Amino acid sequence: MMRWVWLGAALLAAPLQAGEVVTSPAPGKVAVTIYRAPQRPADEPMALGWLGGYALITETREVSIPAGEAEIRFEGVAAGMLPESAIVTGLPGDVAEKNLDADLLSPRNLYARAFGRPVVLRRTDAGGTHEEAAIIRSGPDGAAVLQTKAGFEIANCGGLSDALAYQGLPAGLNARPTLSVATQSPRAVRALVQLSYLAWGFDWQAHYVLAMRPGAREADLTAWVTLASSDATSFSQAKAAVVGGKPHFDEVREGWPESGEMELTCQITHMPPPPAMKPAPPPPVIATLAAPAVMAMRAFSVEKALAPVVVSQEALGDLKLYRVPMPTTVAAHAQKQVALLDARRVKLALIHGADITPGGSAQAQIKLRLHNRKADGLGLALPAGKLTVVQPLGDAAIPVGEGRLDDKAEGEEATIAIAASTQVRIKTIATPWQDGVRRTIATVTNANRWPVHFEGRLRIVQGASVERSSTPLSRRDGLPLWSVTVPAHGKAVLTYTEREPNPPRR
Amino acid sequence: MMNKALWIGVGVMALASAAQAQTAKPDSAQGEVSLTIYNNDLALVQDKRELTLPAGRSAQEFADVSAQIRPETVTLSAPGAGVVEQNFDYDLLSPERLVDKGVGQGVTIIRTNPGTGAETVEHGIILANNGGTLVQIGNRIEVLADMHARLVFDKLPDGLKARPTLSVTLDAAQVGKRPVNLSYLSRGFGWKADYVALFDEGAGKIDVQGWITLKNTTGTSFPHAKVLLVAGTVGTSDEDSSESRPRGFAGTEAADREQVGDFYVYPIKARTTVANAQQKQVSFLDVKGAPAAKTYYYRNGWLAGHDDAQSFATVLSFSNARNGGLGDALPAGTVRVYMRDAQGNPQFVGEDQIGHTPMGSTLVLKTGEAFDVKIKPTVDKREKIDSAEWERVARYRVNGKVGVLEAAKTYWRTHMTYRLTNARAVPATVEVVQAGLGGDTRVSAESQPGTQRSADERVWKVTIPAQGEVVLTAQIDTRY
Repeated sequence: MMRWVWLGAALLAAPLQAGEVVTSPAPGKVAVTIYRAPQRPADEPMALGWLGGYALITETREVSIPAGEAEIRFEGVAAGMLPESAIVTGLPGDVAEKNLDADLLSPRNLYARAFGRPVVLRRTDAGGTHEEAAIIRSGPDGAAVLQTKAGFEIANCGGLSDALAYQGLPAGLNARPTLSVATQSPRAVRALVQLSYLAWGFDWQAHYVLAMRPGAREADLTAWVTLASSDATSFSQAKAAVVGGKPHFDEVREGWPESGEMELTCQITHMPPPPAMKPAPPPPVIATLAAPAVMAMRAFSVEKALAPVVVSQEALGDLKLYRVPMPTTVAAHAQKQVALLDARRVKLALIHGADITPGGSAQAQIKLRLHNRKADGLGLALPAGKLTVVQPLGDAAIPVGEGRLDDKAEGEEATIAIAASTQVRIKTIATPWQDGVRRTIATVTNANRWPVHFEGRLRIVQGASVERSSTPLSRRDGLPLWSVTVPAHGKAVLTYTEREPNPPRR
Repeated sequence: MMNKALWIGVGVMALASAAQAQTAKPDSAQGEVSLTIYNNDLALVQDKRELTLPAGRSAQEFADVSAQIRPETVTLSAPGAGVVEQNFDYDLLSPERLVDKGVGQGVTIIRTNPGTGAETVEHGIILANNGGTLVQIGNRIEVLADMHARLVFDKLPDGLKARPTLSVTLDAAQVGKRPVNLSYLSRGFGWKADYVALFDEGAGKIDVQGWITLKNTTGTSFPHAKVLLVAGTVGTSDEDSSESRPRGFAGTEAADREQVGDFYVYPIKARTTVANAQQKQVSFLDVKGAPAAKTYYYRNGWLAGHDDAQSFATVLSFSNARNGGLGDALPAGTVRVYMRDAQGNPQFVGEDQIGHTPMGSTLVLKTGEAFDVKIKPTVDKREKIDSAEWERVARYRVNGKVGVLEAAKTYWRTHMTYRLTNARAVPATVEVVQAGLGGDTRVSAESQPGTQRSADERVWKVTIPAQGEVVLTAQIDTRY
């Protein structure tokens, strides 16, 4: 029995680094700031299986640092860490080097490191199980030829079921990618070390619910921030925040690490070469704490007992930081929601808009126009997100439209298309061009039991001008604009004449 | 039970000593290793090993070379010995290759009784291994797969390696120990710089730390190596220069660093372990309080208009000159910019890539898009003008005289409106660029004077008051 112990110890090779190794198992305090997936449009939902956003994680750890050279290993960091972004501060000495060791402890690596070394071969057949000594004689790419007492043979062949047992762990293999720093301290000290890094596998999304009040001139706007993590590490009691705006971030997320599989197969005749690309592993299953549907239900209920806890907002350079006011747990493989805003009696205008193309006809788009200012009940930086419009119908609030809101600064106007109207339509009749002019008659009809405000942009030929119109026109976005109120069950007509582009006559 | 364990222990011991005889060092067969690493997946590995050579010809195996060695680049020098030939064997030992090489040779066949587990040992010959293994035992020929049997070989065939192996046949004049210099190029190495920049907008200062990030994906570890990093790519590559973004200018100062040709080299002071699958970072720059400025930039394409306001790019500029800058040449990499939030904690505000930057340059980083500073460009009107008007505006030409006057009678006048807004509590100075002005172009009216930065681009510098707006207009006359 003694020999066993001796052999096991001999296989545990000494670590390569000089100096004492100090392990910090987990952060004491942690702050998580989540950034949106850079390319994801405002109204596209988060891809929970492969979150494309990222987070800045700032951890405070209390570490006992010995005098002299030391290696400090940080465990319990996010699995999606971008090691090149790691910053370590608070050490008494300089950080000489930072290392991320990603040579992981896997069946394949264990086999590779045991090459040429003795292992225990456990063989099972109908007669039972027995163990014998063996030496690995092939690398993991051409698994697995073993040297046994009998000679050289192939594992797991000929009616036997073989398994390998290793007698100790080789140095340099880690259960998880591990960040370590080499440092030097003049004396032993207990230091508060701050470690911050960016990590993949996070995302957040804003969702607005606009509950229309009768008359469609005011609405209550509530918004939720949903933050999600697909990381394997949970951050409990974290200071959480999300960042609005578009920071430039063009890191390429690396694919899944190489498979650590190692199978003892008795494949002794030629097989077609394995496909070069490994199939992507199935996306991890995400547990959902609060499904969007649940959130929607909550938001849709017309009566609310209490105003929710709302994130606080501050400027961060040219971005916006929305801070969750209380410590919260950013759990692994989960999402959570916090209120972003709870605004009452927000002023708005409901517009039916369309582009008027001579000879064409169209449905009008229902649009909301909000002015993001205090006087109108808003006046704060609104991060991009999806917007759902609901309207009371009896006891329920039913969705009547959906649109998207881009990042809107304070003071900006937002026009959001939420649905195509079946009741308001535009139809045009145009004469052919003659002597450089063309006449168009545009008729807008309203089948609603209430009047609507209609805005039509005249799509005129480049360089052309409107010579005459039956109603005065204004301009928007470089095009003539016809604004009119269409009575209930009524219509409105515009007649205008376009002139083809020609040099001005003198 | 005790008995059996003891037997296994003894067996392992015996086999272990056999293993020991094959590999000289338990950890690595490498000698004194120096790595010279370039940016583009290339490194020069110099490995000085002590070898004891017999007199005359002998084959020497060099284990623990990089698994991504470029074998055609291997050079070997040994005092008093000449190279006869170099081989790089990547015929790996695998069950298939073992059986393939065993065709026509004797082998031990152990049958296991599937019912009782009893073993029968026979001797035979492997006849063929084509889509199934055929063995001959005495006069019988059988298919191995149907036999419930396994093969045991007396020895491993020559030429099959567990790992790709470099072997060199040397011809030595006399027996003896001598240093052998092995050098080769390898793939699977690379490095870049990573910068951490903490920007203080109020003070207009920036703290920059530079780290060299080194990556080893060769499959081989290099313990205790001397490492030299070369800031440059060997071979040809083009730097992207057509991007629609603000650019700084290149400096002409020389940094206090060693150079190899045009490239700066960054040595790592102490010997260090470059482990496989490791990403290592070493500090090379730490500058506090360098002046830095933030501006806003937007480039509008020709005849581009938007229904929604667009964000200005947030642009950070600073110098790496000796005076008033970082004072070092900067190797290519990523600059990550941080700013402090209201509670004083640094938060990430964006990043940008830089190329190899000589000292004395102005760096211009686009860190993101401004939430509060926006532009809404509109093509207000396009109209035709006649040649008399075209002649009248000739003095507003932006590119000097271009070609001969054409016979055409009509030209285009474009009215551009740029509505600039700023929701911040402080004024913002922005740079609006109108692109696409090549050829004979005249800016015949503009609401404030612009400057022609290049034949293609006109620039207006505008200060937008805090929580205010400015409407910038321009009248641009073109041939088409």
